[in-house]
Amino acid sequence: MRSTNKGVRLAAAALGLMLAVSACGGAGEDDGAGGGKAGAPGNTAGFDGKTIKLGVITPLSGTVAVIGKPLTSGNEVWFKALNAKGGIGGKYKVELAEEDSQYKTDVAVQKYNKIKGDVAAFAQVLGTPSTLAVLPQLRTDKILAAPASLDAFWVREDNLLPVGGPYQVQAINAVDYYLSDGGGSKDDVICTMIQDDVYGEAGQQGIDFAAEKYGFSVANTQKFKLGTENYAGQIGALAGAKCQMVFLVATPSDAAKIWGTAAQARFAPQWFGQSPSYTGALAESAIAPYMQQSVLIVAEGTEWGDESVPGMKQMVDDVAKYAPEEKPDYYFAFGYNQARAMTAVLEKAVENGDLSREGVLKASTEIGTVSFEGLSGDYQYGPADQRNPPRASTIFKVDPTKPFGLAKVKYLLESDAAKEFEFKKADL
Amino acid sequence: MKVKPHRNLVRGYAQDLRLFGSPAAKAGLAAMLLVLLVLPTIVQDDFWLSVLIYSGITAIGAIGLNLLTGYCGQISLGHAFFIGAGAYCAALVGGDLGLPLPLWLLASAATGAVLGGLIGPFALRLRGHYLAIVTLGLIFIGEHLWRNLTALTGGNNGTSVLAQPRIGPVDLGALEIAGENYSRNQGYFWLVWVLVALVALLAKNLARTRPGRALCAVRDHDQAAEVIGVRAGRYKIGAFMVSSAIASMAGALFGSYQQHVSPDDWTLLLSIQYIAIIIVGGLGTIFGSILGAVFVGALPALIDEYSSAIPGVATDAGGDGFISVFALNQAIFGLLIVLFLVFEPRGLAGIWFRVKAYFKAWPFSY
Amino acid sequence: MGHVNAFLTNVFAGLALGSTYALVALGFVVIYKSTGVINFAQGGLLALGAYFGYTFASNLAIAFGVAILLACLAAAAAGASVERLVLRRMVGQPPFAVIMITIGLLFVIEPLITAIWGFDSLPIKNPWNIRTVEVGGLVFGVRDLWTIGLTAAVVVAFFLFFRFTAFGLAMRATAFDPEAALAQGISARRVYAVSWAIAAALAALAGITLAAGPAGLSPSISFIAFAAFPAMILGGLDSPAGAVLGGLVIGLAEALTRGYQDELFSWAGSNVSVIVPYLLMILILLIRPYGLLGTKDVRRI
Repeated sequence: MRSTNKGVRLAAAALGLMLAVSACGGAGEDDGAGGGKAGAPGNTAGFDGKTIKLGVITPLSGTVAVIGKPLTSGNEVWFKALNAKGGIGGKYKVELAEEDSQYKTDVAVQKYNKIKGDVAAFAQVLGTPSTLAVLPQLRTDKILAAPASLDAFWVREDNLLPVGGPYQVQAINAVDYYLSDGGGSKDDVICTMIQDDVYGEAGQQGIDFAAEKYGFSVANTQKFKLGTENYAGQIGALAGAKCQMVFLVATPSDAAKIWGTAAQARFAPQWFGQSPSYTGALAESAIAPYMQQSVLIVAEGTEWGDESVPGMKQMVDDVAKYAPEEKPDYYFAFGYNQARAMTAVLEKAVENGDLSREGVLKASTEIGTVSFEGLSGDYQYGPADQRNPPRASTIFKVDPTKPFGLAKVKYLLESDAAKEFEFKKADL
Repeated sequence: MKVKPHRNLVRGYAQDLRLFGSPAAKAGLAAMLLVLLVLPTIVQDDFWLSVLIYSGITAIGAIGLNLLTGYCGQISLGHAFFIGAGAYCAALVGGDLGLPLPLWLLASAATGAVLGGLIGPFALRLRGHYLAIVTLGLIFIGEHLWRNLTALTGGNNGTSVLAQPRIGPVDLGALEIAGENYSRNQGYFWLVWVLVALVALLAKNLARTRPGRALCAVRDHDQAAEVIGVRAGRYKIGAFMVSSAIASMAGALFGSYQQHVSPDDWTLLLSIQYIAIIIVGGLGTIFGSILGAVFVGALPALIDEYSSAIPGVATDAGGDGFISVFALNQAIFGLLIVLFLVFEPRGLAGIWFRVKAYFKAWPFSY
Repeated sequence: MGHVNAFLTNVFAGLALGSTYALVALGFVVIYKSTGVINFAQGGLLALGAYFGYTFASNLAIAFGVAILLACLAAAAAGASVERLVLRRMVGQPPFAVIMITIGLLFVIEPLITAIWGFDSLPIKNPWNIRTVEVGGLVFGVRDLWTIGLTAAVVVAFFLFFRFTAFGLAMRATAFDPEAALAQGISARRVYAVSWAIAAALAALAGITLAAGPAGLSPSISFIAFAAFPAMILGGLDSPAGAVLGGLVIGLAEALTRGYQDELFSWAGSNVSVIVPYLLMILILLIRPYGLLGTKDVRRI
């Protein structure tokens, strides 16, 4: 009996203490939102008057690190080069706060929470699932982030700053090339082979759109799960359907197995690979001869080291200076472009004298068209509902003598169908 | 003078089964409640709050698994399936239908119970290793369902979970008490940890009464349990239902907090992580499930926070350390499982009980 | 190319895949039979063996055949030491605890591999790769033929070993009744260590044959072990013959579902073949709770 009384007293004391502490413990919404109206931007979250801090949430470990690392390196090299020239507006250096998401959504959310108070914006959030997981919070926190994936639904999101032509555009341009210069006709048997996830569906969407525009129907679609060991069934089905053109959406390791299986089955249609299906190592592997003969890659920009393109020359110079160890890589170029777009936003925000979160968001709607100097098509920014992503893609063939194993076949192909593709706001 | 027995002397089963028997237990409970209430106002850092919120959600799921595995002895690798089901149910009931917190939480629990009831009968026919592998199949079959039932789950894209933490006029996502605003993370911390306390209390109550003793009998030997009059089959299915219901609640909270879920969230790795938690925490103890969840949830964050101080760990993209933070995490995780099983099979809770026993008998402890 | 050819191609692909499953499942069974443990770390051992193979064949440029042999030996040594260091302490513990130990081991082995060899996919220098031979209008991958052939050879050697050697007999005796075997002077320790070594060597062989394809070797190769679980369960946990049978059945079922996905299974969603092994396993277990060839254990109160 006595002890029960003691318990009640303790609990009461606890409650009293709680109220006393909580009275001063709210995490008010009003911290760190200062912003000068004109002239020099006022100090705010991620800006101390000298340095602008940007967040990066990317898989630096785990299986997707092979993408996260070069991409982040692209971010770094761009900003190092920029800082050497003085920085944003010639005076504010940019610093990156990199966090490892391990390509897991809950970790991405934790890391987002960890650094959101210290950064002006996110220069990179890698991965469709991770981006979708932090998007609700980006909206409530009014923070701008640059997603590192070419999904179409980013285009109409106010809080996201995409770069590059979405996967749909690549797929449409691939079809256009096949039907014109590629020597195919719409009466050919056109098929797809796609990874069973968001990334695969994006490519399929592009092909379906093209099918409607050019008046053909997709004869056969094979789906596969990431990391499948045996593709004989799918290749057999495509061969059985007598496909003459197959659009492949995969990642390099699966693409290697798929093309290897196709080579073994002596099945040689005209393959088009969505850009992430390819990596430089494939041009040195045993399937390179097959790829040279049957595979074209649709991607952005130009071949690595093509000095006739000003953006490429600058990037190659920057790499030599700041990351000489870096191997030629798409993802690196993507990260580099991403940093360029973010820089345009920050320049605008500094010009407006407002680096607060709202200021950065506002600046992102005011930057107009950003040129990527040939590394990617020009992106027409503005309010999210008026953005127009680049519609140009480049068709490459496999050529092991080139630095990244790719030689351009058709540079910046911008088909009418790709121009007509409409990006709608997704219900996310 | 009235002579009273020493507080350590137990004179009956009833005393042994008391929930909060000793004064120390009561004080401990009060202290924990105090920490629960006050912590978010002291730790306002969103990172640590979100780590603790995820830990709390995991603790709820772990309690569920511990009832099934620790008390009833049924190994399940399918826990992640039920967690996923709960999240999608919350998206439907709380998001699309817009019903309030208690309803979507209960709807998720009910869904979990039904699904658990469907899986349970397998446990009647299969034992030990066979059951473990069949529940492993559940993960893969579940993943197939999540990817193909696009209307409900959003397919590969996943779906946003708009279930709001709202009870009547109170919105835990944006609390306002006496003119003071509390952040979403603070609100969720309270919600999640109050639920942890409730679920723990319910589970503890279940475990210490007749059903709990029946579960232990089934765990120790199901046929022997039948002989002494325990309907082993009923209890096995029951344990599956309760465990899945709790798991689904955890899933609903996970979805509601993260606001977006996709099939990639419910993999085998998640199931294994739950098993690791109840092992590290202590099989067959409710308290251990919570300890394990906090330990396993906070450890990666701690390693990450101090990784720059550990030699040989790569922390950024260009870093050339020997091992990445993630790999280090996973290795430590694996080592913990191995070390606990080899040296401390009763888990963290076992260590705790030993320490407690030591001080209880002090100064005559040995 | 007709329907018959397409069918035969699928069957061949299924046999090749099934052979890999069979090798992994055989490893599971060897360990289970002698020690009563389901080894979840088998996938880790498989990856480790394959990476040893990479080091021997590509880094040290040893002839491929010799590299396979060396990798199997290295993996066997690793398997035996895992048993010696960890599993031996767990003798007599409940099966659940031992399963978890092996899961813990898997979590330790995987980061170890990525710390040493990294995440990038690595090409194993090998003579098979994507070469093919044509027999009677059908095209066979050389690697698939070797996988099937090696598996067959290993299975035969395996049964000869257990049937005709003294140590094989000792292992069977230990599996049958550890105490009686001990009383006969059989060293249970050696039996346990050898069964782990055999399982690891089988896993290494499976790993190298898998990784010798065009995609090369990456850490995710260890997932194949999870796909081999249904094969082991289907055949019966304690039956080596069942493991081989289960592996082939599962491999065939997967390849055929895949091949006829469009015609027969499109109603069940995409990629039905991924879950077919598990569905088949559950179906069979409901009819025969101890698998096709497993022994029903007699339980005493």
